[in-house]
Amino acid sequence: MSLEIQPQASPAVEPVADSIAVEVVSPPFRPGLAGWVARGVVMAAVAAVVFLVPTVRGNVEVHIYTQAVIYAIIGLSLNVLLGYTGQISLGHQAFVGIGAFTSAYMVTVQGQPFLAAIGMAMVVGGIQALVLGAVSLRITGLYFALVTLAYGTMAEESLFNIQKLTGGSAGQPAPKPMWFTTDLRYYYLCLAFLTAVVWVDWRLMKTKGGRALAAVRENPRVAATFGTDVKVYTLMAFVVAGVFAGLGGALLAHNDTFVVRDLFNFQLALVFVIMTVVGGLRNRTGVVIGSAFFSLVGYFFDKLFSGGLHVPGIKVLPKEYAPIVIGPMLLLFTLTRHPGGMGQRIRPIQRWLRGGRFSSRDTHDDPTSSGGERVSDVRA
Amino acid sequence: MSVLEVEGCSIRFGGVQAARNVSLRAGEWEIVGVIGPNGAGKTTTFNIITGFYRPDSGRVRFKGRDITKLEVHERTALGMGRTFQNVGLVKSATVRENLLTAQHLEAGYSALAGMVGLPGTFAAERRLRARADALAGILGLGDLLDTRVAGLPYGVLKRVELGAVLATDPDLLLLDEPTSGMGPEEAHTFGATLLELRREFDLTVVMIEHHVPLVAQVCDYVYCLNFGELLAEGTPDAVRSNPEVIRAYLGQEAEEVLQESAPS
Repeated sequence: MSLEIQPQASPAVEPVADSIAVEVVSPPFRPGLAGWVARGVVMAAVAAVVFLVPTVRGNVEVHIYTQAVIYAIIGLSLNVLLGYTGQISLGHQAFVGIGAFTSAYMVTVQGQPFLAAIGMAMVVGGIQALVLGAVSLRITGLYFALVTLAYGTMAEESLFNIQKLTGGSAGQPAPKPMWFTTDLRYYYLCLAFLTAVVWVDWRLMKTKGGRALAAVRENPRVAATFGTDVKVYTLMAFVVAGVFAGLGGALLAHNDTFVVRDLFNFQLALVFVIMTVVGGLRNRTGVVIGSAFFSLVGYFFDKLFSGGLHVPGIKVLPKEYAPIVIGPMLLLFTLTRHPGGMGQRIRPIQRWLRGGRFSSRDTHDDPTSSGGERVSDVRA
Repeated sequence: MSVLEVEGCSIRFGGVQAARNVSLRAGEWEIVGVIGPNGAGKTTTFNIITGFYRPDSGRVRFKGRDITKLEVHERTALGMGRTFQNVGLVKSATVRENLLTAQHLEAGYSALAGMVGLPGTFAAERRLRARADALAGILGLGDLLDTRVAGLPYGVLKRVELGAVLATDPDLLLLDEPTSGMGPEEAHTFGATLLELRREFDLTVVMIEHHVPLVAQVCDYVYCLNFGELLAEGTPDAVRSNPEVIRAYLGQEAEEVLQESAPS
């Protein structure tokens, strides 16, 4: 291609292009040796917390850490819907519950191996999400949110009452798989699954599928003009979310070694939505941190206040309600003060870790700046 | 052979006949202009051609194939590219991301393969990126590749949009008011750009345009629409001097001018 079009084509435009060009000229920031060592130390510390801390804690606590890892998978599942397609799901507890019961049923009733059960949970999760996705092609926005709400309630009342599948109110046993029977080993297994989910999510956003979803979310007409089949990609997003949720549900079941249907109530769906939004939509690390935070908050809240801080005349909040109380407060803060959620707050740290400056400002030469937060859009 | 043939297309929205029996054609390598006053049905015709509207009657042929019932993205796959009056871009994404998004059908791998991260997709992504950068270079957008589209001035947006449409590798380019917001000089420069792009990318162009000098400069053939109907067609000069066209543009005023100038 030898064609040359003079950049000075439009006088009105040129000054802007010029001022931006000046910024490009300045060489990109590179940290010195001490800088790299400091970054290495921080990364090692994070890895140590994730990998080593559970080895020195009791089984009860490891069980809760495992749940945090699984919540991160569920958060990433909801992020695909909320973040990438912009569709709200208030029935995500059903997505997760179906995965949990499918896997428990496969292992306990059908006597299938763990991996087959997990695979089945993902397939079933994908299929039920596909059905809901088909609905979303016709109904959007608030009305679709109501459909998902009804779907969640329906699953709670009917699907989860099927005696054979869920064991009724008694629940269904879901033993841990061979080789991973201890809480600590199962924790590492879940960490491996989370890594796989993060990988898929990362590659999705870096390739044509993720770009197509972003275009569909913002402007379906433009997406179609670029050659994207809007329907197919909307359905694809639902299936991906369903598969992730099915996986999360199955892992949750085997973590508790027993599933009861009462777990999958509307309150859980609310926690899922809040943890994803507060974590930061379209921000992978933010969603993982937000989900883990909301999974752990109840336990640590309980520990903190039952340990000694007893204010006379004030009842201590039961730990089940901690996310529901803290959640809306953080949600309010997220909506009014920083729309990017926790992901936006930790972005300077991520930037720094990747060898950039510690700065919350979006710079155009920063590869991490794409997607995510909306505040910078307004500022730009 | 005609690249594009619109045969007697009509469409009605409630009580409004937005297009009535509109026919137009564009031959290979031609630049065809579509003019007409506001509300004449120009964009409606574009929407019928690109598949956003299904005509109530009539047919659209593209490269000899009847595409009346095809979806928008299927027409893109056949080689149809289109720009929008209000700029069709993913606003929150950067210029490069837009140029990558537009190469959806050029990727050469499935969305699933990309998601799983098959080894070939990494190389394919590098190739797409190189192509996006090259295209940006051609359009003078090289410095803006990592800039978000949302903050760019209108004229630049138009150029980015053109780049994005070219990234879809079209044979037929449909431009909806490409010079809106530009001054006469810029519009003239755009005309030269368009002629070069046609040569470089083997394009047939249909464009809705208001700048009469630009239409005269680049168009081989012009259609004039009014109230959803074809008012006149022919070479730019013939259409420009057509009294019906003049009346359509100037409306009542023209009648008054004629009456006033007439001896009483």
